[in-house]
Amino acid sequence: MKKTFLLLLVLAFTFSSCEKDDICDANTITTSRLVISFYDINNSSVLKNVTDLTIIGEGKTEGITFNGSTLINASTVSIPLKTDADVTSFRFILNYGNTNPAVVYEDILKFNYSRTDVFVSRACGFKTEYTLDPLTPYVNTASDVAVEKWIQYIAVKNSIIANENETHLEIYF
Amino acid sequence: MKYIFSICLVLSLFLAQAQETTTLKNVADSTSSKAIIPDNGNLKTVKLPDEKQEAVVPAKTNRYGLRVGVDLYKLTRGLYDSDYKGIEFVGDYRLTKKYFLAAELGNENKTTDDTRLNFTTKGSYLKAGFDYNAYENWLDMENIISIGLRYGFSTFNQELNSYKIYNANPYFGEIPAIASGEKFNGLTASWIEVVAGVKAKVFDNVFMGFSLRLNRLVSNKKPGNFDNLYIPGFNRTYDGDFGVGFNYTVTYFIPLYKKKVEAIVVPTKAQPKR
Repeated sequence: MKKTFLLLLVLAFTFSSCEKDDICDANTITTSRLVISFYDINNSSVLKNVTDLTIIGEGKTEGITFNGSTLINASTVSIPLKTDADVTSFRFILNYGNTNPAVVYEDILKFNYSRTDVFVSRACGFKTEYTLDPLTPYVNTASDVAVEKWIQYIAVKNSIIANENETHLEIYF
Repeated sequence: MKYIFSICLVLSLFLAQAQETTTLKNVADSTSSKAIIPDNGNLKTVKLPDEKQEAVVPAKTNRYGLRVGVDLYKLTRGLYDSDYKGIEFVGDYRLTKKYFLAAELGNENKTTDDTRLNFTTKGSYLKAGFDYNAYENWLDMENIISIGLRYGFSTFNQELNSYKIYNANPYFGEIPAIASGEKFNGLTASWIEVVAGVKAKVFDNVFMGFSLRLNRLVSNKKPGNFDNLYIPGFNRTYDGDFGVGFNYTVTYFIPLYKKKVEAIVVPTKAQPKR
């Protein structure tokens, strides 16, 4: 009988020790970022790299870090939206920090969306899923009216932002 | 995972079975020695007639009845844990020498405060099954070392008090917990429980007991956009379907009737004549 009891004790401890669900696994899909791809306006099927693009959120001074850098030189970028507001504005600055101010372009992009908080797990809590507003998903303005916008065309590819595996927005310039 | 559970069950059954056979042997041994020892004493003082010396164990009776009590852990936890209120009544009825019908009935009101979630679970539960006493008592002792099975059923509701949003990219800063207050009613769950327990008679008809439980969910009606992270009676749920529990009981035994244990007659020829 003692053996049975010991066995059960051991079992109890082995089961209680596999308490993996206290840390939110990095592979779990939680709140997703908005994935933007950049295309060439002259050849709309070709991805085009941006040069030294810096994206600064409304009310922030430092740019969004993407792949370890705030200067983006790639054809795709992911940016976090606010989880506590239905609007997020960003300054998209091309050729950021360039000594020649004539090539530095700054556009302001405002995203309108609705939010749903979705339960994930005990360790992760909830995540926010966004749906871009079907009527005015974005508003694009040049920060300096005298200067033309560098972004020429924007297309919404996926209005539901629930994962980062797909492009949600396409920017042509 | 399913198989591990069933293997454990089978294993524990085998162990219990193995115990049973050995204890039976012990009974035979102990009774025979008991018969010998008083005889030795008697022979020295009183001269017994040589013939007709039957070594019969004094008739042993087992008491049958109902044992009822309460879980002290749940009862006292409410005193020091403001997030917990609960009570559990326990009871068992002796069916045969070794088998007991057993049940637990309880109610819990628990607020769980995790790092990302805060929720309150309220509900009642009933567990019913049996206990098998694998302990062979000496004389008129009534202690129990048991292994048993229960089927548990709980009906409850959850209230999500507040939650946090997990954001791997907190560029706009960490957002404080969001108050919710959303209620999820009419939830149910059922499970199978393996119980290992001990009960010791502390004084007349009063027993103290302790039991350890391993639970496995059979059914679980989950709320939409939330989960049953705590189930009354089952306790905290883990990623799988497993759970653990224990109780610490004080019970009172109400004797209803007595049954004689068949006296084991030791063959007289075994007695050496002096």
